Amino acid sequence: MAGSQDMFDAIVMADERFHGEGFQEGYEEGSSLGILEGRQYGTEHGARIASEIGCYQGFALAWKCLLHSSAGEKDSRKMKVVEALIGMIEKFPYDDPTYDKLHEDLDKIRGKFKQVCSSFSLGNARVEPERSP
Amino acid sequence: MSWVAAAPAVRSPGEPGDVFDEEADEVLLARREWRSHMRRRVQEGYRDGVDAGKAAALQQGFNQGFKEGAGVVLNYGLLRGTLSALLSWCHLHGDNSTLISAIYDLLNALGQCEEYVLTHLKSVTPQPQVGDLLDSFEDMGLCHAVPAEEKVDQAQDERLCGTNADLNKNCGKSTPGTDGPQAHAHLEKPSITWILEQTTNLVKQLGVSADVLQHLRQL
Repeated sequence: MAGSQDMFDAIVMADERFHGEGFQEGYEEGSSLGILEGRQYGTEHGARIASEIGCYQGFALAWKCLLHSSAGEKDSRKMKVVEALIGMIEKFPYDDPTYDKLHEDLDKIRGKFKQVCSSFSLGNARVEPERSP
Repeated sequence: MSWVAAAPAVRSPGEPGDVFDEEADEVLLARREWRSHMRRRVQEGYRDGVDAGKAAALQQGFNQGFKEGAGVVLNYGLLRGTLSALLSWCHLHGDNSTLISAIYDLLNALGQCEEYVLTHLKSVTPQPQVGDLLDSFEDMGLCHAVPAEEKVDQAQDERLCGTNADLNKNCGKSTPGTDGPQAHAHLEKPSITWILEQTTNLVKQLGVSADVLQHLRQL
C-alpha cells in the first residue's frame, strides 16, 4: 500500500503548495493595504494628541513669558504651576504610540492644565485644547 | 490468431471500441476537476494571505502615521495655545474688544487650517508609480528588467511624508486631498504662516514682549 500512500502525500503536498502560492501573493497585497489603513488611523490619533499637547505647551510657554514681564507676588505661585506643566509636557513622548503610559500621562497633563487655568481664574476665557471639528 | 490472445486485458465491460473513449473521458473529467480544485485552493490561499498580511502590517502603519501626524500637527497646537494665552491675557487686563475679536478670528482660521492639513495627510492614497507600471510591463514580458534604483518611489514618499512648508502652502485650498505637494498653492484662505504674521502684529499692538512667540520660531 506504499504506492497509494505516496499518492496521497503528493496530493496533499500539491494542495498545500497551491494554497501557499496564493497565500504569498495575498500576503504582499494585504501588507500594503494594512500599512495604508494603519497609517490613516495612526495619523488621526497622533494628530489629535499632538494638537492637544501643543496647545497646553504653547499656552504655558506664552504665559511663562507674560508672567516674567509683569512682576508680582501672586505671580510667583502662578509661575510655579505653569513651569510644572511645562516640565510635564517636556518629558511626555507625544509622538510615540508604543509608550505604554501615553493616556495615563495625558490625563495627568490635562489635570495640571486645569490647575493652571484655575490659578489664573480663567473660567471665562476661551481655551480650546482640541481643534474644532 | 495469436494476436487476439496477446491483446491486453481490459477492466471495464462494453464494446472494445468504446473502452478507450470512456477512459479518456474519465481522465479528462478528473483533470478538469483537479484544476478547478487547485484554482480554488489558490484563491483561498490568496484570501488567507491578504488577511494575514493586513493584520501584520496594521500596527506598523499605525505607528508610522501616528508619528507623522503628531509631528505635523504639534505646531498648530502650539500656535493655538499661544493665541489662547494672549486671549486670556486680554480678558484679564480688560483689553479692547477689537483685539479680542481679532484673536478669535485667528483661532478660527487656525482651526480650519489644521483641519485641512489633517485631511490632506490622511487622504494621501498611492497612485500608480513608475516602478509599479514597470513591474507590470516586465511581468507581461514587454520590457527588460529595470535596475532597482530607478524604482524608488520618491514621488510617493514625498506625498506620504510631505513637508510642513508644502502642507502649509496648500492649506486652505478649496479642493483638498487630490493635490500632491508639487501642486501650486492658490491661497484662498489664510495659511499658518499668515496667521503667525498676524499674531506677531497683534503682540506688538498688545504692547507685550515679542519673546512670547519665541517658542514658535520653528514654524
